[in-house]
Amino acid sequence: MYKLRVNGLSAWFQNKQVLFDIHLEFPEKKVIAIIGPSGCGKTTFLRCLNRMHELTPGARVEGKVILDGKDIYSEMDAMEVRRKIGMVFQKPNPFPHMSIYDNVVAGLKLMGIRDRKILDGIVERKLKEVGLWDEVCNDLKRSGAQLSGGQQQRLCIARALATEPEVLLMDEPTSSLDPASSARVEALIRVLKNNTTIVIVTHNIQQAARISDFTAFIYNGKLIEYGETKEIFESPKDPLTEKYITGRFG
Amino acid sequence: MKNISKIIFLENFFKLILKIATLIIIVIFLLMFYSLFERSMPSLMENGFYILFGSSWDPNIKLFGGAPAILGTIISSAIAIAFAFPISLSIAIFYTEYCPLRVRPIISEIMNLLAAIPSVIYGIWGLWTISPIIKLNFQEPIIASIGFIPLFSGPAYGLSIFLASLILTIMITPIIASISMDIFLKTPILLKEAMFALGATKWEVLRHVVIPFARRGILAATILGLGRALGETMAVTMVIGNSYIWPFQSISLFSPATTITSKIASEFPESVIDLMHNSSLMSLALILLLFSISISFITKFIEKGVKYR
Ligand SMILES: Nc1ncnc2c1ncn2[C@@H]1O[C@H](COP(=O)(O)OP(=O)(O)OP(=O)(O)O)[C@@H](O)[C@H]1O
Ligand SMILES: [Mg+2]
Repeated sequence: MYKLRVNGLSAWFQNKQVLFDIHLEFPEKKVIAIIGPSGCGKTTFLRCLNRMHELTPGARVEGKVILDGKDIYSEMDAMEVRRKIGMVFQKPNPFPHMSIYDNVVAGLKLMGIRDRKILDGIVERKLKEVGLWDEVCNDLKRSGAQLSGGQQQRLCIARALATEPEVLLMDEPTSSLDPASSARVEALIRVLKNNTTIVIVTHNIQQAARISDFTAFIYNGKLIEYGETKEIFESPKDPLTEKYITGRFG
Repeated sequence: MKNISKIIFLENFFKLILKIATLIIIVIFLLMFYSLFERSMPSLMENGFYILFGSSWDPNIKLFGGAPAILGTIISSAIAIAFAFPISLSIAIFYTEYCPLRVRPIISEIMNLLAAIPSVIYGIWGLWTISPIIKLNFQEPIIASIGFIPLFSGPAYGLSIFLASLILTIMITPIIASISMDIFLKTPILLKEAMFALGATKWEVLRHVVIPFARRGILAATILGLGRALGETMAVTMVIGNSYIWPFQSISLFSPATTITSKIASEFPESVIDLMHNSSLMSLALILLLFSISISFITKFIEKGVKYR
């Protein structure tokens, strides 16, 4: 059962094409890693999956991204898409003008959920899920910006998870974290897989091998190879893929 | 070694210059305040609170009540801010969120241009062009329909506190709008995107991210606009009608009125031969200065409270 199918996706910044006719599909409740050298279009690809790309002035997308049988570009509106497909950014970006609590519930409030008891419950559950609860439970009123980088990123993950998205997009979520925090996020991804489809961009080949079920290798905006992580890492079909995962470039 | 000591010397030198410059500004301000105070003294001693609350002004019988001018200043500025604030924010929101990139430079150029027009031009334009238009198409119909409300009663003079407020609105809108535009553009894109990624609409991003971030800046811009409105002299003098009937004999916004600045501008030359007259005008100037000072203090105060809510 495919959760998300990408069909002939191309993307542009102004006149510059950065993604070329990408086809692939993501099975439900799996972790899919997107790897490739810097500038190859990983972030752009991810942002096309929840219609964030079109927010950049002059940016353009062609092709289809089908979520549960519906094209997110022609059959859904962007707000609905983004509620169903959550996103964690490369740089932790908690709202500095909001408390930790308000950060977690920001998405829920947008959905109109205001019942204090429900919100309280979700805040506790989500912060526990990302392993932040014990560290912050006594000062939920503190600004989200006063946390350490690792804590901020986990807060952002909690914020993205609060609305229970069906798909979670993560753009190098651990690149600004220390090893301990990275390990926690990786552990969290393994748990989340039970009910979420996760697409994660990573520069860290080992991380991709550790946590993903499927791996896509993108090079110069083109999908070079896509398949089960084990196969990609043990017997890559394309020489470029092999070169990349053995660390001989990028 | 020689180089480093040179750098340190230069740094200290510049710090010293900055300190001296700051000191000079403070000294100039204090001197100004003092000389204004000194010149106001005769009138303040003689008239006391009448200068604040009195409603009549007649140098021939030594009557110096400043209330109509003071109220004229406050009310015309308040109306101008009340109009300019929402208009400026709308312009800024349109500019940053909705208008095509190619149109942006046009809007910001127009704002810069409007902000740079000398106030006497606004005055002339208000006097010759806007005044008759407003009189015919706005004041007269309103007086005809809801003129029984004292605030909108006739006759329609054209030149009025209403027209002054309108011209002030047009003068301060570009100031508040262009600062707000810059501030809105500085909202961290990452935070806007974070809100979008949660499924927010453009409007929700504005409300929950852009505006909270810009709040302090918008406040500062508004205060700047208010300061401009309070102190504006030329344009106001030309369009307000310089009459002391408002608000005690006629409370109508369509009646001619005066402000502190237009009072001073129009009477200063004749007052130099009459100590009490001149000193009373200086008292009004002192009151205006105190307004500006208290506004900047209040701003500091609010800013502390607003710091990200
Ligand atoms: N806002 C933008 N305007 C124009 N070009 C852009 C913009 N953002 C990215 N690009 C270009 O698009 C291409 C793909 O960028 P993208 O950010 O998707 O790469 P990436 O694979 O995520 O790189 P990295 O691993 O360094 O994050 C790059 O060539 C980049 O220069
Ligand atoms: Mg990237």
